[in-house]
Amino acid sequence: MEDYPEELRTPPVSLVCLTGCPELHHPISAFLHSEQPPINTLALPDFSKASVLARKKNRDPLSQPTPAPPSGILKRDWLLKHRTRVPAVVAALFRADQISGDPAQWLQACTDLENLKSLIHGRSTRLVVVLVQTQAAEELSEDVMAALRKRAEIDSKHLVEFVQNDASDLRQSLNKLASLFAELCLTYYKEEGRRIRSIIEKKSSPFPELNIRYCFKIAIYAEFRRDWSEALKFYEEAYRVLREMANTSTRLPPIQRLVEIKTIAEQIHFKISTLLLHGGKIMEAVARFLKHIKTYKRLVGLPEVDFLHWEWFSRQFLVFAELLETTAASAPSSQSPQFGTSESPFSEWEFQPAYYYQLAANYLREKRCCLEQSSVSKTDLPTKITEAPDSVMPSTHIGQSARLVEEGDIVTVLPLSDAEYVAYALAEAERFQDCYEIIALYKRAQESFSSHGSQRMACLCTLGMAREYYASDDFTNSKQLFDTVAAMYRREGWAPLLWEVLGYLRDCAKRLGLTNEYTAYSLEMAALPVFSTGFEETIDFGPAGPATLSRREEIQREALNFAVETDGDPEPVGLDVDPVSPLRSVLLVAVAFHEQSVKPDSVASLTVSLLSHLPLLFKVDLLEVEFNQPACNFSMSIPLEVSPNKWLRLTHEVKSGQSGKLECLTVKAKINNNLIICCRAESPALMEDLTSWKYENQRETYPTLDPALSLSGQKSIQVDEPNPLVDLTLNSIGPALVGEVFQIPVLVVSTGHVIHGGELKINLVDARGGGMLMSPRETDESDAHHVELLSISGLPEEKEDDLNTDLSEETKSDNIRKIQYSFGVVSVPVLKEGESWCCNLEIRWHRPKLVMVYVSLGYNPGDVDQRVNVHRSLQIEGKVPFFTNHRFMMPFRREPLLISNIRSLISPLEEKKVSLALKENNIVIVSAKNCTDVPLNLVSMKIVPEGGTNSNEKLFLVQEISGISNKCTRFVPGEEFRGVFSITPLVAKSSLSLGVVCVEWTRDSKNQDQPETVTTKHSLPQVCVEEPPLVAAIECPPFAIVGDPFSLYIKVKNNTNLLQEIKYSLGDSQNFVFCGAHVHTASILPGKELVLSYKFVPFSAGVQQLPRITITSVRYSAQLTPSIAAGTIFVYPAEPKFSLEKNGSELVV
Amino acid sequence: MIVCVAVVGHQNNPLYLQSFTGSDDALKLHHIVHCSLDVIDERVNNPKRSASTLNETFLGLLYPTENYKVYGYLTNTKVKFIMVTTDLDVKDADVRSYFRKFHAAYVDAVCNPFHVPGKKITSNSFSERVGTIVRSFGPSMTL
Repeated sequence: MEDYPEELRTPPVSLVCLTGCPELHHPISAFLHSEQPPINTLALPDFSKASVLARKKNRDPLSQPTPAPPSGILKRDWLLKHRTRVPAVVAALFRADQISGDPAQWLQACTDLENLKSLIHGRSTRLVVVLVQTQAAEELSEDVMAALRKRAEIDSKHLVEFVQNDASDLRQSLNKLASLFAELCLTYYKEEGRRIRSIIEKKSSPFPELNIRYCFKIAIYAEFRRDWSEALKFYEEAYRVLREMANTSTRLPPIQRLVEIKTIAEQIHFKISTLLLHGGKIMEAVARFLKHIKTYKRLVGLPEVDFLHWEWFSRQFLVFAELLETTAASAPSSQSPQFGTSESPFSEWEFQPAYYYQLAANYLREKRCCLEQSSVSKTDLPTKITEAPDSVMPSTHIGQSARLVEEGDIVTVLPLSDAEYVAYALAEAERFQDCYEIIALYKRAQESFSSHGSQRMACLCTLGMAREYYASDDFTNSKQLFDTVAAMYRREGWAPLLWEVLGYLRDCAKRLGLTNEYTAYSLEMAALPVFSTGFEETIDFGPAGPATLSRREEIQREALNFAVETDGDPEPVGLDVDPVSPLRSVLLVAVAFHEQSVKPDSVASLTVSLLSHLPLLFKVDLLEVEFNQPACNFSMSIPLEVSPNKWLRLTHEVKSGQSGKLECLTVKAKINNNLIICCRAESPALMEDLTSWKYENQRETYPTLDPALSLSGQKSIQVDEPNPLVDLTLNSIGPALVGEVFQIPVLVVSTGHVIHGGELKINLVDARGGGMLMSPRETDESDAHHVELLSISGLPEEKEDDLNTDLSEETKSDNIRKIQYSFGVVSVPVLKEGESWCCNLEIRWHRPKLVMVYVSLGYNPGDVDQRVNVHRSLQIEGKVPFFTNHRFMMPFRREPLLISNIRSLISPLEEKKVSLALKENNIVIVSAKNCTDVPLNLVSMKIVPEGGTNSNEKLFLVQEISGISNKCTRFVPGEEFRGVFSITPLVAKSSLSLGVVCVEWTRDSKNQDQPETVTTKHSLPQVCVEEPPLVAAIECPPFAIVGDPFSLYIKVKNNTNLLQEIKYSLGDSQNFVFCGAHVHTASILPGKELVLSYKFVPFSAGVQQLPRITITSVRYSAQLTPSIAAGTIFVYPAEPKFSLEKNGSELVV
Repeated sequence: MIVCVAVVGHQNNPLYLQSFTGSDDALKLHHIVHCSLDVIDERVNNPKRSASTLNETFLGLLYPTENYKVYGYLTNTKVKFIMVTTDLDVKDADVRSYFRKFHAAYVDAVCNPFHVPGKKITSNSFSERVGTIVRSFGPSMTL
């Protein structure tokens, strides 16, 4: 498109000529150019320059009496002339003072006007006179204006006043001028168009050339007016007439005639396409282009210049592609529902420039091909015209050439003969390097296709580029491009296409001297699944040769014997085949161990299977199999024959002395002493299919004899550790009890191995706490450690030592010893066979918990540098030794009135706290029940205040009433022990801490000399100490005798400073009679005690319930009711006799 | 005249490709079939279709080269059929009818118990049947 002249590529712009007043030309030009639509100006500084407007004397050929045939269709400079030299309007600018002042100046102005008029005479160019006034006030008289108008022979509206004194006036004047010019231009181009149209309509021309010219002109004039539809109509008409003329015209020699027609057609079509595309009619543009192509494709012309045709043809595609690319008209994807159907006969690509670039490249190749043939056949032409004439130049008509002959000073332009023209065109064409042009076109297409995601099309364009580079002997670039193409075809398994590309690659590698790659490409080709189906023999696959079995065999032979020919180079060709390499089809190696794991030093068998898709059988001279343990590597030097498409299975045995993973890494096959193929070993279970062969309809074969092994076989095997010859024993005696230091003996006995560098690792893991790895420490960081590994003791030589010296000694002797809360490491001394070693793990439970103890012993069994591990585990439950409970009570038949108890009755939602009466003896009963399976010995039980026993201030007194009688009390599982304490608070306090109950105990075991004493603590709750306002006590003898009267006193003490009124009542009873008030009230003075005295006589014997006693405090509305136990008395039927063994006397109560 | 028919598998790999023309163009036809997969990809991945054509298997004209027209068809199992013809004005109905017959032949071929799905079709009877369908293609078919 860049080759086209500027005036053809851009839409025409109206032209206005300015003359006179040169200082105003610049602002006027700039203003007109920025108008919409813009107007170009031809600025002539003074009137003497106006002669450029003069027209040459060539008249309309049709108006002449005898019409001569035109010498061409379109003049080369016609369009340029109308854009730069033939204005639509001529504006003469005069200063106002020039007109109105000096008569000499007036005369000059008149002369200038006359000149201008004569210059534009015969044209419809309009004349405009502009009077430039520097000041608005500088009005010209009507007479002068009229005179000027008369001189210029113009309408009054074509005489414009131009005021330039200030910015707003200037702007207004410019606007006025611009609109006048625009209007006059429109009129001018319309008239010109109409004029030419009338010529066509009046006289039917005998020369189609003229018709085309006129149509073209009308269209151009329409374009000047921006009347696109009319322009399009006449371009179409011109195009049509031109096409018809192609078969009829005889004006020029045939070759040049066709060249001219095609050049004109190209320009007209370019105009049409541009108009359509800028109008957004992309569908029509594409359709129009396809029609254009179809029309001219067959118009090749004479065979010796067919290259000209293809060059022209390629240019059509290129120009259209560039047009598509530059116009913003988008493909109509949003409008049309689907491409490729009857509604929308186009496909996606026809709206993409890439498609046309690619075709342009294709036709340029065609051109080069034809050019080569023409160049060859040129020698057959008569010698006299093989010489291209000198100084051939484009003639005055578009699409024609002429010869310039200089004879002295006279230069004449002569027409060319066809033979001369052919020679000239050939010489011109040979000067150009077409291949770079072709590559550039393919490159543009490829980039555009890639950006649209059309990978395969892009690939085809890359292939085109690569072929061009190949043709121009640039093998480096060519090989690089072919490689990318080959990758695409390999991936999708298009074997015939890959065959062609590999052929080129192979040839490139050969020419570049790349031995390895040459061999690799050759072998890949030989292993491609291409078979003769009949056609392949004759298809041109380029340097690859026909895609047949025989050709594959030939290539294989060449590749395998390649290095032999160059035996000056002793180094064999090495090829690496990894799991993504295309050479897997050449040699595929699967390695499968028959077992998943093997004992050390025992034999593991494995199958090495080789598969080749090469068409011929070949011999492997040496097969080397390499493992990650180099000691296991082996090689086979017996010649192995690998047949095409058939697994060669070799079974071998390896022995590994090293535990861990044994993996087969590579298998190297040496062929013919000049080729080493190094294949990465693959596991049959994980092996991918060969990309090129997986779609072939072949029988499925397995790399191993056992099909199951083919599905599961692995190229690696686990070599186990040697069996440990060591006994590791963990013992435990029953469950552990919370608080005690629990010992777990660990015994290591060597039963065959000498233990070197032994190391014992201990790990405590919560058995329930969500997995093995979660140690109690981690589960509950805030709450100390529930279970703790204290130390490892009982090492034979230092049994009696305590932990600290243990540690220091161990660190001195540079042994490992490290103990954390749940983890410990201890070293084990060297043990010879039969020796033993033991230690105790000391673990303390702080909470009841089920714990797994893992103990592992790692050691070197002596001679081999390899560690052996033995693992043991033991589940141990830590239990609470006993349940401890407590109960608060008041002394028998004594009831203090506690206000907080009354309150808690009223509002039971409040936190219930035990209330104790101040300065009263409150009883606490602590019970401990053995809930283990073993008997325990209780050593002591005491209440220890919180701050310790020796606290300064005594808040309460503790007295042990009953407890452990002798040194220790043994109590069996399930048995309960009670201790009774009396607590007398000394201070009234709403919250008093009573401390903890400490129970000291030991395990009751006979085999331990001095059992360790463990203290278990049970904390007593916070209590509320308050002074009771009233304390009621009942005094009554311990027993009664039927018929014997006894006294019962109810004593109520008032502890307050107020007078207390009480009501008291006694219920009736069948078993007693009594004297005293049944129901009564009484008042108690502050600090005094009221004693109510009753006399009772029991009627019946046995345990009897005393009449119900109720004392009610009026002030507190509270009842004091003795408990049922307090209201019970035993009545003897007769006076009892107790014999006391000591002195034999009788005790009479 | 149909010059080439092809069956293309899921990985865009050729399962069957038969050309019915002179040897010169055979490789070019391979390229044409391969490149037209781009258009199929585009049409299948960006379906700008209305509901009525949602189940349409016929993909229409894939791309026109100057000498050939390429039509595509996508089965429900995502196997692609591609046909290249030299007739430049073909009726859609003819092509549809051709693809229907071809599809039937393909279904019969892959129903063969000895055919492994996903492998190339090497059945001779399929080839013969395709040959018949191809020969019968043309304007006469609608008469």
